[in-house]
Amino acid sequence: MEEEYEILENTVKDFNAKYVENNSIKFENESMGKEFVKLLADQGFFSMMGQSGEEVADVKTLSVVLENLAKSVPAVAVKTLLANSFLSLVKDPEVTEAVANGSKSGTVTFSDLLVGPGQNGSLLLSDGKIKGEKQFVVGSDSDFIVTLLDTGELVLLKSGFTAGKKLKRLGFRSIGFSAVNVNSSDYEVLSKEGRKELEKLYYQLSIPVAAISLGMSKAVSQKGLDYAKVRTAFGHYLKDFQPLAFELTSLIAETEILQRYFEVLISTSPSRKEAMFLKHKALALAKDISKTSLQIHGGYGYLEDFGIEKFYRDSMALSVLFHNEEHEMEVLSTLVFETKAGFV
Amino acid sequence: MDFELSDDIKEAVVRAKEFANKYFTEEVAEKSDFNEEFPTDIVAISKKEKVLDFSNPWKVLVTIEELVRRDPGLGISVTISAFGAEIFMFFGNDAQKEKYMNPVFAGKRTLGLGVTEAGGGSDVAGIKCEARLDGDSYVLNGGKMFISNGQIADHFLVLARTSPPPSPEKKHKGLSVFVVDSKSPGFAINKLHGKLGVRATNTAELIFDNVRVPKEDMVGEEGKGFYYIMTFFNISRIYVAAQGLGIAHGALDRLIEYSKKYAPVSETGELNENLQLAIAEIATRVEATRNITYKAASYLFKFTPNPIVTSMAKFYAAETAVFATKRAIELMSLHGLTSDLERFFRDAKILDIWEGTTEVEKLIITRMMLKEGGA
Ligand SMILES: Cc1cc2nc3c(=O)[nH]c(=O)nc-3n(C[C@H](O)[C@H](O)[C@H](O)COP(=O)(O)OP(=O)(O)OC[C@H]3O[C@@H](n4cnc5c(N)ncnc54)[C@H](O)[C@@H]3O)c2cc1C
Repeated sequence: MEEEYEILENTVKDFNAKYVENNSIKFENESMGKEFVKLLADQGFFSMMGQSGEEVADVKTLSVVLENLAKSVPAVAVKTLLANSFLSLVKDPEVTEAVANGSKSGTVTFSDLLVGPGQNGSLLLSDGKIKGEKQFVVGSDSDFIVTLLDTGELVLLKSGFTAGKKLKRLGFRSIGFSAVNVNSSDYEVLSKEGRKELEKLYYQLSIPVAAISLGMSKAVSQKGLDYAKVRTAFGHYLKDFQPLAFELTSLIAETEILQRYFEVLISTSPSRKEAMFLKHKALALAKDISKTSLQIHGGYGYLEDFGIEKFYRDSMALSVLFHNEEHEMEVLSTLVFETKAGFV
Repeated sequence: MDFELSDDIKEAVVRAKEFANKYFTEEVAEKSDFNEEFPTDIVAISKKEKVLDFSNPWKVLVTIEELVRRDPGLGISVTISAFGAEIFMFFGNDAQKEKYMNPVFAGKRTLGLGVTEAGGGSDVAGIKCEARLDGDSYVLNGGKMFISNGQIADHFLVLARTSPPPSPEKKHKGLSVFVVDSKSPGFAINKLHGKLGVRATNTAELIFDNVRVPKEDMVGEEGKGFYYIMTFFNISRIYVAAQGLGIAHGALDRLIEYSKKYAPVSETGELNENLQLAIAEIATRVEATRNITYKAASYLFKFTPNPIVTSMAKFYAAETAVFATKRAIELMSLHGLTSDLERFFRDAKILDIWEGTTEVEKLIITRMMLKEGGA
């Protein structure tokens, strides 16, 4: 890993140790609080991604930060991802400054890309007002929202919206997740070709999302390793039981391979296919390794105190909130076959 | 060989379904889950309506399956009040059956079973809790961890060491089972918070600080506790398999509903093949789980238990529940994540852990097969 990234990694590690680890259950389940969000912003973590006007966004530094934030509390990484996504799309200096310095928050809705047409509400512009409801908004408690209208424009909602009843939350429970009711004349059209713009951002996030998954995989496998070295059953350390040792070792092998691939990708200009390969495998790995580590912890893994169960929930939540298996496999298959594939 | 359920068992399925439809509303299920609150009212109604008919174990099995299929947390809470009672049935004396078992089966009392300790659950023979004879009573010291019904049980069956093991290889000797009244002096209970799933169930740590248990509250013979607990697990694991079956079937129900309502279709108007194959796979595993669970039950309910098939059923059902809930969420995307399926996903994982972890079940299968020469 380049020296620049190593320094960044250590910065995030220090940040985690100082501000995150002692509050991990709170930051995961309740709220991060304005003060903490400000601290994150003060580190410059919210504006690490170039504007989406650039064809290849610079997601490298962001990915290193996310990977390391995710090791302590994955929700903190997701909060950071949302802020960066938002700032990559919005240009209004008043808005961007407030989000970048953490005094206000912004989010981007991706649900249009994740569920079928008409399944996530409807937003229409008429007589100078945007009205309707958008379902499945991650970060619905934000001050600003970038979202897609039914007619295809990408808009920035500055006010005139309210978050609806909280949706069930498998993971990232400290981040608002609900429908948003909109009745707003305070908005800005960011792009007429909104879906395309949103899709571009979505694919640019492949590596950052993979980075969060990798961070989670590393953290949770370390917990598994540590526990297996101290816990005994039947007079042996858990590490000495083949089923546990072999399974964890095999998953750690996958983690290290993906880590190398991640490092290669962030030090080059990866193609969309490569970025999607990484995301596809990293999301699956985070789920598998969380499950194994939880199992190694037995009953303790099932309780939040050991900080394992959150990875089990978050890895699944991440793979749904920023990923749609069927859709992405269609795109990826087409890239692999170099012709339309995975459609009948 | 008959794969059909008899009419009275089918009736029990219908009753369970009706009960769940009426009382397991999403609002109640969500509240119990969110607040980690035992559904006292629903459990009381279920007892009044005798939802669990203990006179017929098949009825108990299908009722568990059907209730859990609707909601695992509530389903398990409603069906766990008598947890451990079979120990009285097989090893208790008449007075104990009268005093402790009958009120539990009649829905008047709640029972808990304390085996696991902070230091270990898989290695049952390695427990540290001690019972020392002192006059007319035993004095219990130590603790138990992760005990279901911990705060609500009237009595607990507790495994404790009454004599040192004759040798390190024979740790399973010298353990005994006691009935402990939850109001006994020296007995303390700490509720455990923050479970991943089955949050409607009540789980606690139990602490015994010189708790006196009258001699007559030892169940069966002194020193045979390990055998009693293992015998019980060979019964209860079949009910855990039924929990797995219910969870997996519940996930399948939800995936099929989704596929009719929301799933993308191909140009030919059919469901995408990826989804079709996933549904087929889950449905097949559910069916396989049902067959192996019912087979294990069939052996047991004829009083010829087959621990190999029982452990197969328990581990396979757990694995199927975990697999089905995971695949269903992945395929249902945001619709799965924001529906009760997310609770099923969290709940399912407990089945890999309680009453013998998946690894332990697999070890039992092979060790017994090698000993006995086949399943
Ligand atoms: C919600 C909940 C409710 C519960 N209710 C009850 C209850 O009512 N009564 C009760 O007595 N207990 C109860 N338990 C405890 C449960 O049965 C134990 O957690 C379980 O038996 C595992 O024990 P452990 O947690 O100590 O894990 P450990 O025994 O420490 O095992 C840790 C890991 O090591 C693995 N392992 C252990 N030995 C081997 C081996 N030889 N080879 C390979 N792998 C091995 C295990 O499979 C597991 O993955 C409950 C637990 C939970 C979480």
